[in-house]
Amino acid sequence: MGDNFFPTGAEYFRILPEMILTVAGTLIMFFEAVLPESGKRILGPLSVAGLAAALCAALAANNNPGPAFQNMLVIDGFATFFRVLVIAVGLLAVFGSTEYLRREQSTGGEFYALILFSVVGQCVMSTANELIMIFIGLEISSIATYILAGYLRDDPRNNESALKYFLLGSFATAFLLYGIAWIYGITGSTNLVEIRRVLISAAAPPLVLTGTSAALMFVGFGFKISVAPFQIWAPDVYQGAPAPVAAFLSVGPKAAAFAILLRVFTTAFGSIAVRWEPFVWGCALATMIVGNFAALQQSNIKRMLAYSSIAHAGYVLVAVTAHSDVGGAAAMFYLAAYAFTNFGAFAVVTYFSRKGEKYVSIDDFAGLAQRQPAMAAMLAIFLMSLIGVPLTGGFFGKFYIFKAALDADLVWLTVLGLLNSAVAAFYYLRILVVMYMNEPGASVADLPPVDGAMKIAVYGSAVATLVLGIFPSLVLDFATKAALK
Amino acid sequence: MTLLDIVILLPLAGFFVFLAVPRNNPQMTRWAALLISVAVFVVSLGLVGPYWFANPAGYTFSTNVPWIGSPPIRYHVGLDGLSLWLVLLTTLLTPIAVLVSWKHIDHRVKEFFAFLILLEFGLIGVFVALDLFLFYVFWEVSLVPMYFLVGIWGHERRIYAAVKFFLYTMAGSVLMLAAIIYLYNKSGSFDYLEILSQIQTGRLAFDGQQQSLLFLAFFFSFAIKVPLFPLHTWLPDAHVEAPTAGSVMLASVMLKMGTYGLVRYCLPLFPNAAHNSAPWIAALAIIGIIYGALVAMVQPNLKKLVAYSSVTHLGFVVLGIFSFTQQGLDGAVYQMLNHGVSTGALFMLVGYLYERRHSLEIAAYGGVATPAPNLSAVFMFTTLASIGLPMLNNFIGEYLVLQGTAQANFTWTTFAATGVILSACYMLWMYQRVFFGKASGSVSHHLTDLTAREWVAILPLLTLMLWMGTFTQSFMPPISAQNARILDQTKQLGVERVHKQGPGVPLAEARRGR
Amino acid sequence: MQLWLIPVFPFVGFALNGLFGRKLPKRAIDVIAVGSVLLSFLWVLKTLNALGVFAGGNALETAYVEHYFTWIQSGTLNVSIDLSVDRLTAVMLMVVTGVGFLIHVYSVGYMAHEGGYYRFFSYLNLFMFFMLVLVLGANFLLLFVGWEGVGLCSYLLIGFYFLEKFATDAGNKAFIVNRIGDFGFSLAIFLVGIHFGSLDFGRVFGQIRDMPVEASPGWITAISLLLLVGAIGKSAQIPLYVWLPDAMAGPTPVSALIHAATMVTAGVYMVARSSQIYLHSTFALDIVAIVGLTTAFFAATIGLAQNDIKKVFAYSTVSQLGYMFVGLGTGAFSAGIFHLMTHAFFKALLFLGAGSVIHALSGEQDLRHMGGLRKQIPITFWTLMCAGVAIAGVPPFSGFHSKDEILAAAYHHAPWMYWVGVLTAFMTAFYVFRALFLCFFGEYRGEHHPHESPVVMWGPLAVLAALSLAGGYINVPRFLEPMFPLAEGGGDQWLVYVSVAAGLGGIALAYLFYVASPKLADSFANAFHALYSLIYNKYFVDELYDATVVRPVVDGSRTLLWRGVDVGVIDGAVNGIGHRARGIGGVLRLAQSGYIRNYAAWMVAGAILVIAMIGLAGGAR
Repeated sequence: MGDNFFPTGAEYFRILPEMILTVAGTLIMFFEAVLPESGKRILGPLSVAGLAAALCAALAANNNPGPAFQNMLVIDGFATFFRVLVIAVGLLAVFGSTEYLRREQSTGGEFYALILFSVVGQCVMSTANELIMIFIGLEISSIATYILAGYLRDDPRNNESALKYFLLGSFATAFLLYGIAWIYGITGSTNLVEIRRVLISAAAPPLVLTGTSAALMFVGFGFKISVAPFQIWAPDVYQGAPAPVAAFLSVGPKAAAFAILLRVFTTAFGSIAVRWEPFVWGCALATMIVGNFAALQQSNIKRMLAYSSIAHAGYVLVAVTAHSDVGGAAAMFYLAAYAFTNFGAFAVVTYFSRKGEKYVSIDDFAGLAQRQPAMAAMLAIFLMSLIGVPLTGGFFGKFYIFKAALDADLVWLTVLGLLNSAVAAFYYLRILVVMYMNEPGASVADLPPVDGAMKIAVYGSAVATLVLGIFPSLVLDFATKAALK
Repeated sequence: MTLLDIVILLPLAGFFVFLAVPRNNPQMTRWAALLISVAVFVVSLGLVGPYWFANPAGYTFSTNVPWIGSPPIRYHVGLDGLSLWLVLLTTLLTPIAVLVSWKHIDHRVKEFFAFLILLEFGLIGVFVALDLFLFYVFWEVSLVPMYFLVGIWGHERRIYAAVKFFLYTMAGSVLMLAAIIYLYNKSGSFDYLEILSQIQTGRLAFDGQQQSLLFLAFFFSFAIKVPLFPLHTWLPDAHVEAPTAGSVMLASVMLKMGTYGLVRYCLPLFPNAAHNSAPWIAALAIIGIIYGALVAMVQPNLKKLVAYSSVTHLGFVVLGIFSFTQQGLDGAVYQMLNHGVSTGALFMLVGYLYERRHSLEIAAYGGVATPAPNLSAVFMFTTLASIGLPMLNNFIGEYLVLQGTAQANFTWTTFAATGVILSACYMLWMYQRVFFGKASGSVSHHLTDLTAREWVAILPLLTLMLWMGTFTQSFMPPISAQNARILDQTKQLGVERVHKQGPGVPLAEARRGR
Repeated sequence: MQLWLIPVFPFVGFALNGLFGRKLPKRAIDVIAVGSVLLSFLWVLKTLNALGVFAGGNALETAYVEHYFTWIQSGTLNVSIDLSVDRLTAVMLMVVTGVGFLIHVYSVGYMAHEGGYYRFFSYLNLFMFFMLVLVLGANFLLLFVGWEGVGLCSYLLIGFYFLEKFATDAGNKAFIVNRIGDFGFSLAIFLVGIHFGSLDFGRVFGQIRDMPVEASPGWITAISLLLLVGAIGKSAQIPLYVWLPDAMAGPTPVSALIHAATMVTAGVYMVARSSQIYLHSTFALDIVAIVGLTTAFFAATIGLAQNDIKKVFAYSTVSQLGYMFVGLGTGAFSAGIFHLMTHAFFKALLFLGAGSVIHALSGEQDLRHMGGLRKQIPITFWTLMCAGVAIAGVPPFSGFHSKDEILAAAYHHAPWMYWVGVLTAFMTAFYVFRALFLCFFGEYRGEHHPHESPVVMWGPLAVLAALSLAGGYINVPRFLEPMFPLAEGGGDQWLVYVSVAAGLGGIALAYLFYVASPKLADSFANAFHALYSLIYNKYFVDELYDATVVRPVVDGSRTLLWRGVDVGVIDGAVNGIGHRARGIGGVLRLAQSGYIRNYAAWMVAGAILVIAMIGLAGGAR
């Protein structure tokens, strides 16, 4: 028990965001219990304040990077990037859900707290430099989201969604845990750097064992980022969960899970890339195809977006397959762009779906452009970005990813991926068609005005999407520096 | 901030101004649109300046500033003899498109004109971008507004047509994107001139297969836009369903994006691949010429007929480009402009008919000449231009294309020239069925003659038809000079080309050549 | 010298009448239309006089060229707007503006009661403009400009009565059939462009002259034959003559000016203009002669049995044009041009006279409803008689001289051609006089009340009659000698006697059949019924073309290309891909059973796959 067991001030400073969020979350739970109904109005602002503070802390922490708690966590550009991203998503999630909660007469407190805790988990995932921490982060984040998915406890759809998510989630986590156990068994360490050292050392254990452990862990991550063949849960869960939760699920946990995937597979398993690369190649392709082609048939917009989010995970996997620093940067940029775009799209759906999520069929959007031109325009921007039309973040994301893929001579994966994005255009266009080219129906007759918080969420995402599309270097340069070597 | 930048950015600014215009005042919107587009046109006239007396080599009005740090993507635009007239064509046709939509568009007026102006922005950008990435951005940007123009303000099957149009183009352009990225990875630059010089100096060399694949990736997306047989089937649908202004912009300018791309990118960047594939492409072009004409002949729908005639005209353009001769290329570029003017006018006139009779079926007309003599005269004039009557614009283009092709391969010319016969068939037959004969009651009741606004809209085009056909030299020199450069860049490395000896070769020599 | 004024005068007339004609009074329209043509006629006289043509001597042995501006400059190819006059052009200018002027005057009377008066005259002026560009143009492309332009005007004027479908049909037919000819012509131009590097007559023929006389490369023949295709279309030779008879749907002055005197002779002019090229391909020349001879004979036979007076003259035009081609083909270019001129006189006269008759009978064109008109409309009668004897080739009338030249040349080229020509001459004389006798002799078979035409109409008739009489003494061949060296020989007087005899014989037979004993004709027709109905129906050529070309192309395009390839194959494929994609989506959806146990099973399967791939196999891309 050396004196370096107790972390230094600098180390505390590095994990300040997590601490802030935890405190804020706990406070909210507390106030939730003690405050009168009237006073609960402050919970939303409080969580926003917490997240904002965490955001600043995360940015500040970037100024003195380094490990914390005996290398369990490491604060580097990569970690910062994802921490900032997930916290920002958390902010958007809060803004995007207040109106929803009011609409469903559901108390806000727990909801915000859960969001915050989930974000904490994701932060830990982004910073974790060690398999146990990864597991802990994953669990913190997951458990919170399991509850969120079933937040409206008397809504059967919520319950089903939560149940599926929980059971399958823990099933997948089991694989992950098993993989961790294996790797610890064969390398005698759970620290990624250490593992890497062992794997490249002369005393490297047989590839079959490392490969298998990598495979087991891939199952765990693959579930979270919903890559084929582990995407199976996503459509049901997204469709069943409350719209704002689906929005949150489709971006936050996914981004964090990609963070750990990248960290583990580039840092720890970088040396056995020849072994997993081919499989990820196939996974990427399969994921894109499953996501896009299945989406062609959907009539429920939440379900369609679920499939589309699967497809987008496929694009990111292309970058992972490239398995280069360019690829890493591309993946990071794409996740950022995708996060804002997809969240924005879901946010508009949240606004549009109305009480009890009555209107979630694509046809319900008929003529939205004539009743709510602003919202329609925003959704149009998000869809354009998902299609990958220039001047939107989604376009540059795809561009960088396929550029990285071509760098790595993945010509066929590139061509097939691009053709996939052409297919994808079809189902996104359907929404545009309905919104702009069909005559307004009853579903758009009684649209409520957009409240402030929702405005912030939607316009914020839109601005981010466009900024990423017009001045991508702002983010890309950071990502390039931060990408894991 | 050169004049060109202003011409590019003015529409964009106009677009944003538009979002400010109150939506409940259509008349004001119309005037605003007209004001903006006319302003852009007037400014763009200044671009002719350097070319009027001299013939500057290289690019005028070029701006080259960084846009995105890494990868190095720059806002690099410039004007040359190839893009000059295409830009002016765009800026001229936009106000005309505004005029023809004046009455025709009566719902969601604001959005309509906003999209129209945005379209102009994209189109101009495509013709002046000198950075492959920037080019691609403009290429896609121009796609979106047209999609909405067709999809929102079109006729019955507008949505099918719009989606078909979008997906067709998308499918082509993603491959082009892949090729652009590949070029960047090899050359380390997106800058067209940089890449070109690398290729010309041999610093950047591709083996045969790479080059063919890259060539095809570009060619495919351009061929869809042109459209080249058999990739043309989106065109008739898009045209029939589009509102008049949409058809005009689509036919007059958008199709030229494809042919422009062929000349600007496919030829100089991949000379060998271009030469090797020339026979196949020429074959497709010729099939398009004859096929388009034959199919046009049997169309019961006016717009479809004109649409298929576009397939024929554009076939001539592609044929001229891939003849790799000065005359062929000059003719091709000139024909792009001619088609823009005369087919644009045809679509306007069809639109005029539609606004009166509310039908595009030829059978719904007949005897229009009696109630509307001026409209009929103007239509006849345009028809004559379109079938290549000498002293009118199309004749020059078709003549040069065929003359050039004749040097490359006389058999091609022989087949292509039959298109000249067929064009007379379908146009005159259509004209007879629409305008001649005794006017039925409904026709004579609905078909009023041209209004002042319609005259104003069509007159510039009529003037151009005559001007471009008679005083060709007021347009040709910059085109010709630029094409000479392009041909020089397209010289196939280490390949002897016998058929390149064009006119001016002394007779004795020519005889020895045989 | 301001050559450009010659075509521009009528163009101004066209512009004025075309733009403002609807508001102008008839008189103003007359002044503009007729005046503009008169001006250009006078300007022609002035110009030729200034060039010393009328002074005789060796004036204008080389072409006089005026350059205005560059039209097309592409690479080394330069095409300019140049006009030039040489002796050939001089002859054409006189014919076109002279006859053209007379016909304009005549039209004032003939069209007096027609609607679209201003339209008619603006078209007619436009025609004059293009026709003059055609003969003045100094390069092939400018010639082509005029060529297409006159075709356009012919189209507009044939379809002048645009309410009638048959008229507009005839217009389309004329334009499209001509386009087929132009197809050949344009190909010839491209070849010229390739091999001579220029389209200027001067440079092209100059280079040809530098070639050794015997040199006859294949491409020269190709050019010659392709030019001939163009000429065949414009001058209504076999197999493209079918448009000309239908063209009679236009007003009669149009038939006279465009479809008899000037435009249809453009082919003859073009071949003569390109004589330098033809002289290097005897094969092509033979083809020219044979096409001409066949057409002359073939059309004459059809002429025997037509009952529409204009149709009769139309076929005679086709036949006479055939004669001109025989002249060209046998190397007697000057004879061809000579006949072109005389034909312009007497054929214009025939048509205008026919028009006068039709006018007198207020629109009646069927010979079977005429007869005995020589009392009521004597002037028309006598002038038409002059035209008749002229075309029959009876000395000393104009037709005799030119036709004689051609037949002599034909004989020296190949005697059998001479005999066919003589036979044709016999038939020509017969059917022309058949028409005239049916029209003016016997007793009147119609119900209208004939009345003589006004002076504005018979004036031109008189002038043309005079020309038909004396025109033969304008020694065109001598005048053209510097360009076309005269065919050797002449001599054998008997050739002349035979051809004259043939002409007189034809007249006599016609008199026997249609004046002396009218019964004979019908009994004859019945005797050879099959043959008669064959030629009466013009050998069913139109029906043949319709069945073998028009129908197949149209139906094929509709069913095979449009419905089949376009909608069926291509769009079928495109939409098919769409459906296929949806189908795949449907399959993928089957996995979504919604049951957790299935999902878990999926994940296990996936896990096994991953472990197998990464762990054991290491995977293979």
